[in-house]
Amino acid sequence: MTDKKFTRRNFIKLLGGASVIGAGAVVAGCASEPTGGKGWMPNQYNVAAGWPVQVKGRVAIDRNNPSIERDDTKCILCGQCLEVCKNVVSVYGYYELPIKNDITCIHCGQCTLWCPTGAITERNDIAKVMEALSSPDKHVVIQTAPAVRVALGEEFNLPPGSIVQGKQVTALKKAGFDAVFDTSWSADLTIMEEASELIKRVTSGEHLPHFTSCCPGWVKFSEYFYADLQPHLSSCKSPQQMLGAVAKTYYAQEKGLTPEQIFSVAVMPCTAKKFECQRPEMNAAGVQCGNPAIRDVDVVLTTRELATILKANGIDLNRLEDTAYDSVLGESTGAGVIFGATGGVTEAAVRTAYYLSTKQEPPAELLQWDNVRGLKGVKEASVTIPSVGMLKVAVCHGLRDARVVLDKVRSNQSDWHFIEFMACPGGCIGGGGQPRTSLPPSDDVRKARIANLYKLDGTAVKRASYQNKEVMDLYQKVLHAPLSEHAESLLHTHYVDRSHQLNVKL
Amino acid sequence: MSKGVLVDITKCIGCGSCTVACKMWNKLEYDNKVPSIGEDATLNDKNWTVVVQSSLNNAKGESVWRFAKQQCMHCVDPACASACFSRALQKNADGAVVYYPDLCVGCRYCMIACPFDVPKYEWSKAAPQITKCQMCSSRIAKGEAPACVAVCPTGVMKFADRQELINEAHLMLKRDDRYMKTVYGEHEVGGTCWLYVSDVPFDQLGFKSKLGSVPLPSYTHSFLKNVPVIALGWGVLLTGMSFYARRRNEIAKAKQAKRNGTDGNQQGEDDDFDEED
Repeated sequence: MTDKKFTRRNFIKLLGGASVIGAGAVVAGCASEPTGGKGWMPNQYNVAAGWPVQVKGRVAIDRNNPSIERDDTKCILCGQCLEVCKNVVSVYGYYELPIKNDITCIHCGQCTLWCPTGAITERNDIAKVMEALSSPDKHVVIQTAPAVRVALGEEFNLPPGSIVQGKQVTALKKAGFDAVFDTSWSADLTIMEEASELIKRVTSGEHLPHFTSCCPGWVKFSEYFYADLQPHLSSCKSPQQMLGAVAKTYYAQEKGLTPEQIFSVAVMPCTAKKFECQRPEMNAAGVQCGNPAIRDVDVVLTTRELATILKANGIDLNRLEDTAYDSVLGESTGAGVIFGATGGVTEAAVRTAYYLSTKQEPPAELLQWDNVRGLKGVKEASVTIPSVGMLKVAVCHGLRDARVVLDKVRSNQSDWHFIEFMACPGGCIGGGGQPRTSLPPSDDVRKARIANLYKLDGTAVKRASYQNKEVMDLYQKVLHAPLSEHAESLLHTHYVDRSHQLNVKL
Repeated sequence: MSKGVLVDITKCIGCGSCTVACKMWNKLEYDNKVPSIGEDATLNDKNWTVVVQSSLNNAKGESVWRFAKQQCMHCVDPACASACFSRALQKNADGAVVYYPDLCVGCRYCMIACPFDVPKYEWSKAAPQITKCQMCSSRIAKGEAPACVAVCPTGVMKFADRQELINEAHLMLKRDDRYMKTVYGEHEVGGTCWLYVSDVPFDQLGFKSKLGSVPLPSYTHSFLKNVPVIALGWGVLLTGMSFYARRRNEIAKAKQAKRNGTDGNQQGEDDDFDEED
């Protein structure tokens, strides 16, 4: 035993002393520093409270938004999503506050292209497709949009706009899809219907100008902000939904399948297509077979998601040979392919409208209609069609520019017969589901993609929709004629008035 | 001059910028299980501010969505700071009620005391702290607005002197009859630095009504103010009595020893503590 034992008394003294020191510190209010404030904020926010901050915040995204989602852990509040939503798409800031019971969104997905950190992305539907592919009793069909073939290559290190049409089909076959169809085929089908509808309107003088309806972002925009102009909208479904409806009816019959057996996938340059395929009325095949729960298109993937699937499967686009699309929904013409570029729908529609009115091939001018091509915000052109007269058209892309045209129509100051609207700058090639090849999206990339779509058109043997034999076969076997009763039930739709869901800023 | 923030519920679109700003500035983790935006948004140790979405009917009977930002209300006379005996919660002159983790003993009295149920505890940590919004005290010390206020794209929040904001809020209520005729936070529990105006009743947004206008600390202050005096006085009294008793014993022992003729100082001081049982 040592002299200095650690006794209970010493221990209690020690504790008592520590308590007294602690209590003293507390009473004195000593502390190193308060909690919080150890992080960072983007520089624009670090200014005195009285100063304005020009670019700030972010867009609101509904948790149930079918098209886009956001990972908050990646968001840095740079404000770029708001910037594009307000100044390019003209949705944010164009409604009064307070909001009603909807977070106004047209699902165009431009914010996914502008977001520098990739916080906002398309809603990921890859798992649903993988599940269908692994299901032995599902016949999985996939359609690819015109704009995908000039953008997918960028995800595999190819220059912007590289044409990978054939390689893409091979890749999809390797990935396990049972049939690969071309949305350009149904673009031709859309043109057959829409050109017929245009001629009908021009001759009757009703509901002019005729508005295109193949861009679901634009359609929802019009339902929100210009619901009063709804009669002007073409009743034609978009090519995606037409192909979906035909795949589960006509194709199913041809193959001896039931609509329930077919799982229909679409690869689109677009996030609004994810919203469109979920619209309640997009179940024509289901209604026809007595099971309205069946969707015409089950899942929409973006170009980016397709690239993810291919990479996950170890499929390198660069090492693949070309393959042709599958019959009976695989033939396309140049007119169908240029749907992916701003002005393309107009050019394709007028080529066929010319033929349907005159029974003559359209003149060379309409096979390269420069007035409706290019990246000018609003393009105007006119053409004289024998027996119809002067047809005046306008083309808008990026909905902020569209407002100028729409306001003219609303105030009866327009003399156009046909107006094409695309939500995304450049048209579908600049869609919200396309590869993020430049950030923010640049006109250089858009131009490269557009140039190659026109190249595909220019080198195509068939340049107009009425020349598409597989489309004509469909009419011959099933639909009989454009705008027939059967065609109306399968290929045409109606729209919703959403103007009550927001207070539009006047 | 106490600062404050005026929140206009009618301008909120539910983007959640404020919640992200809070996480960024305070280096807070994201909680995978507890969202900070939406119907299920809940304040917890990681979520210092949340935006709660509610579906309700407005005065016209229309079904509407409203978003209520929740965070510490920064009471003018905070119950949490009053309940904290270790001074871990302190009220700054600029209005912020701030938390000093070094002083906290983890008793969680503040959680019981807070009428708004704001302070949260880091239950999952080995050395837990209390957590809550600090009103970005380090930012407002530099004249900057709190992070959440700075990032709001629609101008839901305004940061200024509290009294100015109250005046402005009343002007808004006068000018626009859509607003409820109360400024939430002006009088609740004696007033809070965060003030709210809304076009739908506050209780439908999850705000506590019927809190009264009396600061909670005032209920306890009348008797709790005597605690230090009583505690110290009691200590002094007992110490004095102890010395008195010991001295009497010693004197008595000395007298006894004198009578017995022996030395009464044989036992060591530590006898009672020397051996273990």
